Amino acid sequence: MNGKTFALLVAASFALAAPAYAKDELHLYNWNNYIAPETIKRFENTCHCEVIQTYYSDNDELLAKVAAGAKGYDVMVPTSNAVQTLIRGGQLMAIDKTAIPNLKNIDAAYLNTAFDPGNRYSVPYAMSTTIIGYNDVKMKELGLPTDTWAVIFDPKYLVKVKGRVTVLDSANELFAAALKYLGYSANDVDPKHWNEAATVIRKAKPYWAAFNASSYIKELTVGNVWLVHGYSNDIFQANQDAEAAHRPFHILQGMPKEGAVLAVDNMVIQKGAPRPDLALKFINFVLVGRNSADLTNLIGSGNPNLDAMKYIKPEILKLPAVFPPKDIQAKLEQLKDLTVAQRRLRNKLWTEIKAAK
Amino acid sequence: MVSGPPLAFLLVFFAAPTLIMVLASFRSPGEFGGLAPLVDASGRIDLNVDGYARLVTEPVFAQVFVKSAGYAALTTLVCLLLGYPLATLIARSAKKHRDLLLLLVILPFWSNFLIRIYAWMIILGPNAALARLVNRALAAFGADPVPLLFSAFAVLVCLVYVSLPFMVLPLYANLEKHDRTLLDAAQDLGANAWQRFWRITFPLSLPGVYAGAALVFIPALGVFAIPDILGGPDDTLIGNLIKQQFLETRDWPFGSVLSIVLTAAALALAGGATWVARRSGGASRA
Repeated sequence: MNGKTFALLVAASFALAAPAYAKDELHLYNWNNYIAPETIKRFENTCHCEVIQTYYSDNDELLAKVAAGAKGYDVMVPTSNAVQTLIRGGQLMAIDKTAIPNLKNIDAAYLNTAFDPGNRYSVPYAMSTTIIGYNDVKMKELGLPTDTWAVIFDPKYLVKVKGRVTVLDSANELFAAALKYLGYSANDVDPKHWNEAATVIRKAKPYWAAFNASSYIKELTVGNVWLVHGYSNDIFQANQDAEAAHRPFHILQGMPKEGAVLAVDNMVIQKGAPRPDLALKFINFVLVGRNSADLTNLIGSGNPNLDAMKYIKPEILKLPAVFPPKDIQAKLEQLKDLTVAQRRLRNKLWTEIKAAK
Repeated sequence: MVSGPPLAFLLVFFAAPTLIMVLASFRSPGEFGGLAPLVDASGRIDLNVDGYARLVTEPVFAQVFVKSAGYAALTTLVCLLLGYPLATLIARSAKKHRDLLLLLVILPFWSNFLIRIYAWMIILGPNAALARLVNRALAAFGADPVPLLFSAFAVLVCLVYVSLPFMVLPLYANLEKHDRTLLDAAQDLGANAWQRFWRITFPLSLPGVYAGAALVFIPALGVFAIPDILGGPDDTLIGNLIKQQFLETRDWPFGSVLSIVLTAAALALAGGATWVARRSGGASRA
C-alpha cells in the first residue's frame, strides 16, 4: 500500500466514524425484548426517525457500561435503584415535563418515590415482580405449595424436587427472597439478619440444580426444571412458550404470601444524549395508553399506566403477580441500593455460599 | 532482546492495562461504581491495601483460586490425552490430507463460542439421549440417576471441548517436524513400539506439550462463561468472581486485585513452562 492510498483510507475511516448529526435516530438502550415491535414502528412513523436499540441483560451491566464512560444513548430503561445510582453519579439529564403531558396517565402510586423525588429524571415504564414459577402438573403431583418462599428454601419441601429447582444468579434478589422468607424487609441491612439469610440459602443450596438467570425460561418450558425463583415476565414467557409447544403442563406464577421484590423500570435520558428532543417525544409517546399496553400484552409486564388498562388482555389483568391486589401490593418492596461496605459484605457472603460444597 | 514492534505491542496491550489494574487495586471503590476519587474530600490521597488484605482474611477467595487451578489442570490433562493421539495421527497422515485435517480441527471456531456452549446444554440436558443412556446404565448397576447438565462434569466437558484445538495445533507443529528415520533406527536396534514412543517421540515432543499445556491451562484458569451457563451451584470459578466484582458488587479495586493475582499466576506458569521447555530442549540436543 503506498502513502496516498493509506492516507485516503485513514480519511475514509474518520468520515465513517464521525457521528451522523443529520440523521434522525433515537438510541434506545433497553432490556432485551422490552418494547413491542409495533410500538417502535408506530413511533418511527410519527417521528420520521429511526429507533436504534442496543440491549443489556441486567442493571449491573448498564451501570458498569455507563460508569466506564459509554456515551450516546438517548433513552435508557433502568430499574429504580439503578436510576438512583445514575442520578447520584450525575449521569442523567433532567426531564422537561412540559414536553410529556402524558405523564398524567401514570398511577400516582408510582410517582415521586424516594428513588427520584419529584420524578426529575425518570418516568415509570413497566414493572415486574420476583416470584415463584412452577410446572403446575409436577407441583400438584408432588403436593407442594406454590404460595410461599418455603418451597424454595425449606429442605422439607425441596427434598421432593431435588435437582429440578433453579434460583436467580443474583445475590441481591436471592438475599431479598431469603430475608422475606425470614420475615424481614427485603431491604434489611442488619448483618445479623444477612447471616441468617445466608444460612437459609446454604441449607437449601444442595437441592438446587443451578443459580441461573439466563436459561431457566427454556428449562421450564421443556420440563427439565419444575420450580424457579424468577421474574414474573420470564415466567409468563415460559408459559407462552410451553403453550406454543403444546406441552402437557403450564408454567404458572406463584406470589409468595411473605411478599416479594417489585422492580419498576423507568425511562431516563442520559446526560449528553445526542437527541434529547427525540427522547422526550419517545417518552411521551410510550406513555400513551395503547402503546404502553402493547408491552404488557407482549411480555406480561406490570403496567403503571392507568390509561393502558382498557387495552390490556383480561387474562393478564387478572394475574396477581402482574397486577397485584391491594393486600399483596403492601408486601411488595423495591430494592434499594447498597453502600460500598454493604456490597463488599454481601459479596463475601455470596462468594462463601457459592464456593461452599 | 525483544525488538521494536513486539515490544510496542506488549507495552500497549499488556503493560499499560496491567499498570492501570495495579493502580486501581490500591484505590477505593466508588459509591456508584467505578473508583472513588484519588484525592478525597479532606485532601488526603486515598490509597490502601484493603483488597489484598481481604485475600488473606477471607480464605474463600483463595479456595476458589485453588478450585479454578484444579479445573484448569484437569482440562489440560484430558486435552493432552485426547490431543496427543490426534496430533500424531494428523502429523503421520499423507501430506495432501494434512491441511484438510487441520482445517477440521479449527472448524468449530467458525461458530460463536457462546452458541457452542448453549449447544452443550441441549446435548447434556436431562431429556437428551446421552443423559438417558448414562442413567439407564447407572440404573442397571443400581445407582441413582445423575444430572449431567449444571454440574462440574458439564463444565469440564465443555472446557475440554473448547480448549482441544489449542492443544492439538502446537503438538502437531512439533510432531510434524520429527525425523522418521530416528524411529527406523530405533526399530533396527530392537526397540519395541512403546520404547520408540516413550524414549524418542515423546521427549522430542515436549516443547509442543509445554506450549499446548500453557495455551490450554491459562485461558481455562480465567474462564467465566462456561461455569455461568453449564455449572451447578458449586461451580463458581475465579473468572466468575472477577466478573461479579465489576458487575454486581461494583467493586473495581477488588476485581483488580483478583485479576492481578490471576495474571501473576498465569505469567508464573507461562514463564515456568518456557524455562522447562528450554532446559529440556537443551538436554535433548546434548
